[in-house]
Amino acid sequence: MEDQKVIYDNKTVKLFILATLVWGIVGVLVGIVIALQLRFPAFNFGLEFTTFGRVRPVHTNAIIFAFVGNAIFAGVYYSMQRLLKTRMFSDLLSKFHFWGWQLIIVLAAVTLLLGFTTSKEYAELEWPIDILIALVWVAFGVNMIGTTVIRRVQHIYAAIWWYIATFVGVAILHIVNSFELPISLFKSYSLYAGAQDAVVQWWYGHNAVAFFLTTPFLGLMYYYLPKAAERPIYSYKLSIIHFWSLIFLYMWAGPHHLLYQALPDWAQALGVTFSVMLIAPSWGGMINGLLTLRGAWDKVRDKAELKFLVVAVTAYGMSTFEGPMMSIKFVNQLTHFTDWTIAHVHIAGMAWNGGIVFGMLYWMVPKLFRTKLYSEKLANAHFWIATLGILIYAIPLYWSAITQWLMLREYTPEGFLAYPNFLETLTQILPMYTFRIIGGTMFLIGFFLMVFNLAKTMKAGSMVAQEEAYAPVLVELGARDPKKESMHRFLERRSVRFSVIAFIVLAIGGAVEIIPMTFVKSNVPTIEAVKPYTPLELAGRDLYVSEGCYNCHSQMVRPFRWETDRYGEYSKIGEFVYDHPFQWGSRRTGPDLARAGVIGGPMYKNAAWHYNHFMDPQKMNEQSIMPKYPWLAEKDIDLDIIPAKIRAMKKLGVPYPEGFDKIAVDDLKKQAAVIVADLKASGITADPGKQIIAMIAYMHKLGRDISTPAASDSANAPAKVVVESLPNTPADLTAGKEIFGKLCASCHGPEGKGLATFPNLTDDEWIHGNTPTDVVNTITNGYPVKGMLPFKNQLTEQQIKQVASFTLNGLKK
Amino acid sequence: MKMISSVLGNIQGIEIYYIIGLLLFVAFFVVIVIRTLRMPSKEADHIKNSILNDNEIMTPSNK
Repeated sequence: MEDQKVIYDNKTVKLFILATLVWGIVGVLVGIVIALQLRFPAFNFGLEFTTFGRVRPVHTNAIIFAFVGNAIFAGVYYSMQRLLKTRMFSDLLSKFHFWGWQLIIVLAAVTLLLGFTTSKEYAELEWPIDILIALVWVAFGVNMIGTTVIRRVQHIYAAIWWYIATFVGVAILHIVNSFELPISLFKSYSLYAGAQDAVVQWWYGHNAVAFFLTTPFLGLMYYYLPKAAERPIYSYKLSIIHFWSLIFLYMWAGPHHLLYQALPDWAQALGVTFSVMLIAPSWGGMINGLLTLRGAWDKVRDKAELKFLVVAVTAYGMSTFEGPMMSIKFVNQLTHFTDWTIAHVHIAGMAWNGGIVFGMLYWMVPKLFRTKLYSEKLANAHFWIATLGILIYAIPLYWSAITQWLMLREYTPEGFLAYPNFLETLTQILPMYTFRIIGGTMFLIGFFLMVFNLAKTMKAGSMVAQEEAYAPVLVELGARDPKKESMHRFLERRSVRFSVIAFIVLAIGGAVEIIPMTFVKSNVPTIEAVKPYTPLELAGRDLYVSEGCYNCHSQMVRPFRWETDRYGEYSKIGEFVYDHPFQWGSRRTGPDLARAGVIGGPMYKNAAWHYNHFMDPQKMNEQSIMPKYPWLAEKDIDLDIIPAKIRAMKKLGVPYPEGFDKIAVDDLKKQAAVIVADLKASGITADPGKQIIAMIAYMHKLGRDISTPAASDSANAPAKVVVESLPNTPADLTAGKEIFGKLCASCHGPEGKGLATFPNLTDDEWIHGNTPTDVVNTITNGYPVKGMLPFKNQLTEQQIKQVASFTLNGLKK
Repeated sequence: MKMISSVLGNIQGIEIYYIIGLLLFVAFFVVIVIRTLRMPSKEADHIKNSILNDNEIMTPSNK
């Protein structure tokens, strides 16, 4: 049969490779910056654009969508043309895809640093960029499916099934998760609220892992591993079975990110069941990858690209075992909100995604440039330094997770939390964060070695931008003969039908998870006492979102004794009905804030404390790693947008009274004046129009509606206990000093000299008296409204006496 | 989402979603496994090897 000339487009492949290298360096570098910030808060640089809360989403987005995204496209554009023996469907679409994607990345980096964010993890970008992503993604999909239509081979190979699933999956996820109501060019509210928003977001978040970090990589594995090993994939049949079961199962598993949280039990059970089932198809992929090398393991010794691919597939196997284990409820207590999650995703990201990308590039670049790799030795050096870097990164974080979890749930024999102050548990794990910096730096050094090696390779060789090849014309086989051709084989000849079936399979899982949650009214029992945010609180909440506070602070108290003792009443689903978007968080680098507004609760801090703490957290807690936010006291609340925000919320179902948008600004000013007066009483002069006032209002809203309002201090003060004398032995004073350091120093200073507006305990001025009875009662019952916490639920009577004794006798006057 | 929340009124019988979902998966899985395992191995070998000889042997220089 006559061969036809095919001209492969290598130029687009090369562009995507270059983008992979550039964004990869940027992404890892930003990762090291945030790792430094978590260890040494000075690396927040005192600028609003460089705080951890804003930079962390830049890291995750840069790695996932810029580095990994461009690598996927490079791998797909190279392999598809060769697998299908045709040029990509449309040069125009290829070009639009490449440049559109780079534009999205640049816009993402700029807007995230400016604080324009939806706060939905891995989907933080605001609505105009979301639309652009949808357009570029559809261009990619049309280009890809178009290529399968004009192919010159009968069947689409397994790698391409995964590419198709990637396109379809991400399209569904992105569209459903991005439903939002725009208020301005840079601000929108999620259409979903509270628990519904959480379910949609984590359905998205989980499946972004599935369809951006797993399916395309399995596709790349199915092409580049056999190519690099020069052996066919182990089992074609296994590839069919694990492909369909994996894409079917993944879609249901999202709720495992929300275990023990304010979600109906059935949704949690659904997430757990399907997550555990996921081990099987995931391991199908790992087995198919590793067994491809059977009888060819000697090649692994000689070729760096195979080393990377082997480590990648092994890490995939480990992570896909670990993931389902983390989805088991009991295990999830430990892994959720701790560094376990961080370690887990970095094993998967650095070793599985990174490994496939590095292996692919070391194989593909010499092929594309028709030369040999510049230095096999350097590639091996990259392999070892990266692999060691990953271990040095991850192992300390697993350690840190276990340490912190054990500390958080430890009780004293008297039945009180052993470490009531969250900061103590964080201080304990900070040394592990140093190792993380070292591990990340090693990974970056390896990356530089690769860039150098590949640049030299590109220079030595020459790429033919329009590469000629020959392939026979495709002769349509027509209808299926059931005797000669299996159903799946037939489907592999019908790529469009294949894509449609993949869509249906994905849609079923998505529908089962999302529809009941979104549509069933009684899923979200309302709580009568929960009131919509006032305009000032809403402004504060939007600042909380914009500053990325959710990156470190959760707002979700799980129903464990060690959480309710530390934070307060566990979170209920009905509390969140006005939350567009939800702010439950996923990692507690700082304490949970769901009960920050419960007066008399363990998390309450008064306005003056918040003011000082925002200005300089290290002044309040020397060990704190929170960035300083002094600009909150300088920047104005945007009053012009308030009415539009109220109208938008009303449209989303928040029951503000008719015409409230018109008086919203007045309402805001009234509430701000109250807070300013409160600050003034503590000796702080603040401007009512500044952002810090809104933030304080929001902090004091959290959890307030479901708590019983505390009456004035005198009205519900418990009877005074009379104390004759205080324990005075050196042992008592030492014990008292220790408690003082843990619990009192954060307001009264490490030496008791007072901080900001919190009373000096070493002078002669005593607001509530300095007899043993006075001091013991003040510590026991507190003065919650003024900011003095009651410690009767954290300390024994004996401990209270010891700390009172230390206060009166041990502090240097 | 108040505009659509009246489609289904309550949570009674919600487990039906869950059960239907599981059944769908199991049925789908069994069909795929049976049909795939019945495929002749020779055919599978041919498919697997097909990707190893793509462009290299097709380019004009080494054709």
